[in-house]
Amino acid sequence: MSRLGQGLRPLVESLIAGLIGLGVGALIMWAWGYNPWPAYRVLFQESFGSTYGLAGALANATPLILTALAFAIGARAGLFIIGAEGMMYMGALAAVAASLPRLPAGLHPLVSLALAALAGLLWGLIPALLRAFRGVHEVISTIMFNWLAHFLAFYLVANVLVDPVRAEKTISVARTARLPLLLRGTDLSLGIGVAVGCALLAYLWLWHTVSGYEVRAAGANPEAARYAGVAPRATVLGVFAVAGALAGLAGAVEAMGRPPTYAVYSGLTNLAGFGFDGIGVAMIGRNHPLGILPAAVFYGGLQAGARLMQMWAKVPFEVVRAVQGVIVLALALPELLRILRRLGLLRRVRRHA
Amino acid sequence: MALRRIAFVVLALAFLGLPGWAGRVALILDVGGRGDLSFNDMGYKGTEEACAAFGWEFVDIQSATSADYLPNIRNAARSRRFDLIICVGFLLADALNAVAPEFPDQKFAIIDAVVPHPNVLSIVFEEQEGSALVGALAGMLAAHYGYPYVGVVLGIEIPVLYHFEGGYRFGIDWGLQKYAQVTGKKADVGLLWVYTGTFSDIAKGKAAAEAQLEQGAVAVYNVAGPLGIGILEAVSAKLAKEGREAGPPFMIGVDANQDWMGDGNKVVASMMKRVDVGCYTAIQMVHEKTFRGGVLSLGLRNKGVAISRYPDLLEFIDFGIKAGVITEADRGRIIENWKAMRAAIPQWIWDAVDELEAKILSGEVVVPKPTTREEMLAVRARYPLVR
Repeated sequence: MSRLGQGLRPLVESLIAGLIGLGVGALIMWAWGYNPWPAYRVLFQESFGSTYGLAGALANATPLILTALAFAIGARAGLFIIGAEGMMYMGALAAVAASLPRLPAGLHPLVSLALAALAGLLWGLIPALLRAFRGVHEVISTIMFNWLAHFLAFYLVANVLVDPVRAEKTISVARTARLPLLLRGTDLSLGIGVAVGCALLAYLWLWHTVSGYEVRAAGANPEAARYAGVAPRATVLGVFAVAGALAGLAGAVEAMGRPPTYAVYSGLTNLAGFGFDGIGVAMIGRNHPLGILPAAVFYGGLQAGARLMQMWAKVPFEVVRAVQGVIVLALALPELLRILRRLGLLRRVRRHA
Repeated sequence: MALRRIAFVVLALAFLGLPGWAGRVALILDVGGRGDLSFNDMGYKGTEEACAAFGWEFVDIQSATSADYLPNIRNAARSRRFDLIICVGFLLADALNAVAPEFPDQKFAIIDAVVPHPNVLSIVFEEQEGSALVGALAGMLAAHYGYPYVGVVLGIEIPVLYHFEGGYRFGIDWGLQKYAQVTGKKADVGLLWVYTGTFSDIAKGKAAAEAQLEQGAVAVYNVAGPLGIGILEAVSAKLAKEGREAGPPFMIGVDANQDWMGDGNKVVASMMKRVDVGCYTAIQMVHEKTFRGGVLSLGLRNKGVAISRYPDLLEFIDFGIKAGVITEADRGRIIENWKAMRAAIPQWIWDAVDELEAKILSGEVVVPKPTTREEMLAVRARYPLVR
């Protein structure tokens, strides 16, 4: 019972949190003079009640799974890496750049994905080294690197990878390098396979290998882990590398798999936010690779359903976004509280020592 | 008698009680979204007016990211609820190009792009014509007030914006020649221009305008929709620093008439691009069953673009009040300020703007209309406008 109960507890917590979020969201709509019931019916029916809707939810979930994994793996190691946004930009642009050479169809997507992962990894290298060797806190450095990535990506989109006839976007990913659509008339691509595959691998690594165990140990108690022989610098570097590669892939699956343009827009309007949304998804999924999968699908469904709330229930965009925000915040709250509680506990322990 | 009365009541109820929409339109916006007081709000305005005139129902759908464009258009078409789906903006063109052939019976319209499918009405504007007029005005203002530069802050580099930039360059050059002709003096005026790469980041608009104003731009032309809000903040801050309320320096408004913004004495004129007329016309065509796919071009000749004048000010003060940005109490002051601002500028400048307009209309003057990057580079080489 106790083990089963432990497994069920997060689920029950999430359910209660979700209901609270829905309730507050309903109140918001009601306060602005919109009927919440048809709005919620549309939200859930249209995003989870049909193949088309579900495909939309999964398409939105694809990059979020990867950025959420990037955050979660860091969190498991005790690192607060919020640089997935910048790493993701670099991955997307690397995937676009990989379309410059001509390559055979079977090989091209693999090369593009590999380059994107490498770009994300390299973008995380400096914060990783700063953290491992100089003790610079990764929150500060990754925020700064997000801005560097933002402006560098703006420059690369406008000047280097720019489409010679259409200056509002980069060149499009070559047909040979695109991830094929899984369902005609939707925007669900094979990218979902990449994302789910990465989640499963991350789970196997963290819970079924020695190095994964060391990562979690370092996160749970860095002093004890060091005492037990876990090399802290190697852990930081390794975790940053994996997080960077995952976030890079997030940008790549979006650029290579999202119709109709298969490019990065000027202003990064088709990428901006995935890195930060991934933090929310990771929180909802309790920083667990297998929790992230349903969390991302739920989040993606919220986004897909939100489009339809405007159309069917005539709830304006701004209210839809507020409702979305409240639901996500409520769902992320249990994990957030846990982190805060742990920080509080740490302080208490130190005072006793 | 009683029977007739009952029949009348039943009929009246049928008309009033049932949702008797004559038609239904979906307006799909890009990430710029509502509240820009220019491009997107103009699309909204025209659609709202047409719906009121023809008894149509109106649903607007905004996009959170550009990944929403395709699903938003497809969702609307799949629902089969809409007699017309209007896509507001060039950035939606790729998505519409993908969706239009999937739904051959669905009528679409798109602003600012040509999407060649038989079920799509492509509404495009001769932005270069209006931009030439505000360019001439800006050039003459710089020369008259002794400012070294005129400025323009643009959004994302799309073909539509090349029309603006090309027309503006041509107009500045024309205005400077006119100044030399009228005063006998040659003015050394340059152009400061920047593509910010965004149609939504207001802070970038403010930063870009600040830089141009610091270098001595007499006016900053807003060619980036919502970024105008930031440009106006920069102009207002610059004026406040100099202890004045009215320009110069000025902003030049875009799409909507933005003259009323900033109390009526900071936006010297607006290049009105009547996106509202485009949307209204599309709905009217469907309503009157005259809708056909193809290109509808709106320019100076059919009042699709225009430089703002007094009647436009009155119309758009109402627009500002409706948007909740100003109140009825501001109306009188804005009108007074606007009149004083325009009166402070010599009449020959306004006459010259009218002259250029007449010459464009008669075909005597042809404004360059660059659409590709190569054409744009050629126009830049012809009118470099460097000091």
